[in-house]
Amino acid sequence: MCGIAGIVSYHYAALDVDRAELRRIRDAMAARGPDGCGEWFSADNRVGLGHRRLAIIDLAERAAQPMASADGRLVVTFNGEIYNYRMLRGKLESKGYVFRTESDTEVLLHLYADKGEAMVEDLRGMFAFGLWDSRKSALFLGRDPYGIKPLYYADDGWTLRFASQVKALQAGGCISRDPDPAGHVGFYLFGSVPEPYTIWQDIRAVPAGSTLWVDRIGASEPRRYFSLARVYREAEAHPLRLDEVELQRFAREALLDSVRHHLTADVPVGAFLSAGIDSGSLVGLMRDAGQTDIQTVTLTFSEFVGKPGDEAPLAEQVAKQFGTRHTTRIVTESEFREDMPRILAAMDQPSIDGINTWFVSKAARELGLKVAVSGIGGDELLGGYRSFDRIPALVRRLAIPSYFPFLGPLARTLGQQVFAGPFTVHPKALSLLEYGGTYPGAYLLIRGLFMPGELHKVLDKDLVLEGLRRLQPLNHIGEVLAPDPGTARSRVAVLESGLYLRNTLLRDADWASMAHSLEVRTPLVDSHLVKRLSPALVSCKAAQAKDLLAQSPTLGLPEPIRARVKTGFTTPVMEWIAGDPAFRTENRAETPMGAHEPSRWTRRWAHHVASVAV
Amino acid sequence: MTRSIRILALITDGFGGQGGISQYNRDLLTAWSGVDAVGEIVVVPRVGQAEPGALPARVRQLPPVFNRVGYASYSVGVAATKGPFDLVFCGHIAHAALAAAIAGRLKVPLWLQLHGIDAWTCPRPLIRWGVEQSALVTVVSRYTKRRFLKWANIRPEQVRVLPNTVSDRFSPGPKSEAILESYGLQGKRIMLTVSRISTHDRYKGHHRVLTVMPDLLRKFPDLVYVVAGEGNGREQLERLALEQGVAAHVRFIGRIDDAQLPDLYRTADVFVMPSTEEGFGIVFLEAMRSGIPAIGGNEDGSMDPLRDGTVGYAVSCDNRGELLDAIQSALERPRIGIRHADLFSFSEFSKHCAGLVGHCLAQADHRNEQV
Repeated sequence: MCGIAGIVSYHYAALDVDRAELRRIRDAMAARGPDGCGEWFSADNRVGLGHRRLAIIDLAERAAQPMASADGRLVVTFNGEIYNYRMLRGKLESKGYVFRTESDTEVLLHLYADKGEAMVEDLRGMFAFGLWDSRKSALFLGRDPYGIKPLYYADDGWTLRFASQVKALQAGGCISRDPDPAGHVGFYLFGSVPEPYTIWQDIRAVPAGSTLWVDRIGASEPRRYFSLARVYREAEAHPLRLDEVELQRFAREALLDSVRHHLTADVPVGAFLSAGIDSGSLVGLMRDAGQTDIQTVTLTFSEFVGKPGDEAPLAEQVAKQFGTRHTTRIVTESEFREDMPRILAAMDQPSIDGINTWFVSKAARELGLKVAVSGIGGDELLGGYRSFDRIPALVRRLAIPSYFPFLGPLARTLGQQVFAGPFTVHPKALSLLEYGGTYPGAYLLIRGLFMPGELHKVLDKDLVLEGLRRLQPLNHIGEVLAPDPGTARSRVAVLESGLYLRNTLLRDADWASMAHSLEVRTPLVDSHLVKRLSPALVSCKAAQAKDLLAQSPTLGLPEPIRARVKTGFTTPVMEWIAGDPAFRTENRAETPMGAHEPSRWTRRWAHHVASVAV
Repeated sequence: MTRSIRILALITDGFGGQGGISQYNRDLLTAWSGVDAVGEIVVVPRVGQAEPGALPARVRQLPPVFNRVGYASYSVGVAATKGPFDLVFCGHIAHAALAAAIAGRLKVPLWLQLHGIDAWTCPRPLIRWGVEQSALVTVVSRYTKRRFLKWANIRPEQVRVLPNTVSDRFSPGPKSEAILESYGLQGKRIMLTVSRISTHDRYKGHHRVLTVMPDLLRKFPDLVYVVAGEGNGREQLERLALEQGVAAHVRFIGRIDDAQLPDLYRTADVFVMPSTEEGFGIVFLEAMRSGIPAIGGNEDGSMDPLRDGTVGYAVSCDNRGELLDAIQSALERPRIGIRHADLFSFSEFSKHCAGLVGHCLAQADHRNEQV
């Protein structure tokens, strides 16, 4: 829920907070919080906090934000949900803390008063907040372990500004628009902008699972309090070996616990439903958690109706099985074209994905939902991607050549000569030797959009050089893997969660849903769940892991869903883009994207997005 | 227990030196000397011999070594023999590689100070390497921070703004009869620029002021433009004044003795320097602290002393109309309060320095813990 913003004039020479600027930043996020808005300014006007509210827990005005502690010492502006707030509240009340509201926001204030910055370790949920401690004269920024909720900041040397969206910060009008080469290069490499970079030099993301202090001398370096790599490393060091029945019971308990927590709300919680195991199982678990009235929504496309690619019939079977109120929403090409300008305007930073989430969120909001559960994160947690096989296989086969660093570039250069002219080969094939022998390199090969060696075809040469120098793609990927989780499967789980999930899926889920004032909840992206489940998962097979989820609902998933080969969520969007006459004209030049590459339209789309969605 | 640290400072010049960088270093060393946690600061300058009794407590300035190779060898020797040190400070980007090597060898954090234009463009690779080893980089303005981060691969949180200070000797007061008489300025409205006027410094914008002079004179016939400072661009500007037909209303008074500066500011009604490449622009502060309004550019470090145009006037330098309007407006209210200029006092600077020392060491401790 919500959009947050703040300005801290921390430097002695800085101007007082410009209230109009704070309102511009806050109100650029109006869609994130249509139920209300608030602001708070310190008495000396050196600090301002803003909030746009999407009311989900304690809908009363008393829970409006920014919220101050009773003594006025602490003020918080908060975006997200704390799913274990009732338990935390109980503990705090037993220590003598007195609550004035029923909201999770107030728990943040008291928990901080009780534990200081260590409070973040007790929180279960998705969150991004800014908390002003007037006694310390310092701002405390915190972001959830996976980075489900966004938090960006810009520090010009005098004043620090923060907000839930990059575009909102820019709407304030006081931040430079100098491009960040690392952000641009990162987008072309991965298809989304890798945090902490953004496409603007002066705006950065507070990294997932990190906190950051801003005091009178400025922003400190972010401090990480959660590391997924460490969680998996611990799991590998202390695996939980259970027999099949125990394992299933253990997994069901953990998954049900997560779903139950994710249903905490004072408004109805619906669900996105596809023909996959993840969303279907979650709907079943929602029912098991006691929710009898469930609104589900499935997205399909006019081109697919009645064809094998149509997920709607299978999704309807699931809905029937679990007795949900179900809606199948058909998206047509004309609706897609009509929405395109709004999609690009809502896209906070360039992304090659997110269009599906846009339409399914739109459908959910049309049904009156404020909150919907999504199966995002299931493939990362349970090894559902093909990358769980492909990356380790690549590394095994190419490990020895990777000991000779000159071989890769040599092979690529020779390949480029041989396959010039009419015989073309995908750039990734030419980069196999160069990257395939290590986990970071193999990940880049599997997930990469463009290869580093071909970036100069789509970006200015100097920008590419500087961007690669700053980003250092292989180091950037490698940092996610520190400390080494230890096994192939855990490494891929960490890579997929720390990069693709964090930078693409979660970011897209945020901007695309928030544009429709819808909160998306992700029970399979939960730090408590992964800590609990990973010791058991590391000792079972990937296919078995998905079965654990499929078999968790009491009623079980319909057999066709369980037997269905994973295809990914297919859409005709790229065909629609390819068929757009204006888009074809704009992208007439063939060479930059590779004329014979299957991914050329994705690449063209990326190029288009990078130039428009800023 | 309070930690007592020793700092090795490699600087171009400090006590016994001249110019803006020297003044900045003196301010910094003096500020550190007042920090409880600082036990001793060993200063290795390239030039400048400290006068006896000039050094603040806890500051030990070694003899200067001008020769570049000699300076490097000497600094390495000092680091090796006069330690231990807890922090290495580098006062100029030119010494960044040397300082980084020493800090690396001593395994202590490096604090690099950047002054302005020196930090705006990417230096040669060795210097760039040195810069990027810094644990903390202080710059004089927000604009310099922005320009620096365009080429330096360093986390933005490691770059802090530590502005120049303005001396108390600049204060409001009556016009100086001696100056009025010397330059024939009695009964005139005076518009002042203080800066170098070499052909390389065309960005300072004297030519912009000269081109609006004809319009200004129509409204203020008693206006005189006083240009203080020397350089090889003077002839060009004199020619431009003639071309504009305003030569009789322009005085090129050459280089002014530092001691005379406060009186010169007091004697003026308006300070103007529509520059596009100021690292900070201390002259704006000097003018404002002398009680006269200042007009500067809005696309460089000038925005800091002018506080984004909320104090004085920040204009688009190449927008003739904007510049003209600003000067006219300033001439109509030729005296201002000095509260804003006081923000850049030594006491504020000093408090910020103390905070930065603590921050730098805390970050180093945190990194060591992680290792």
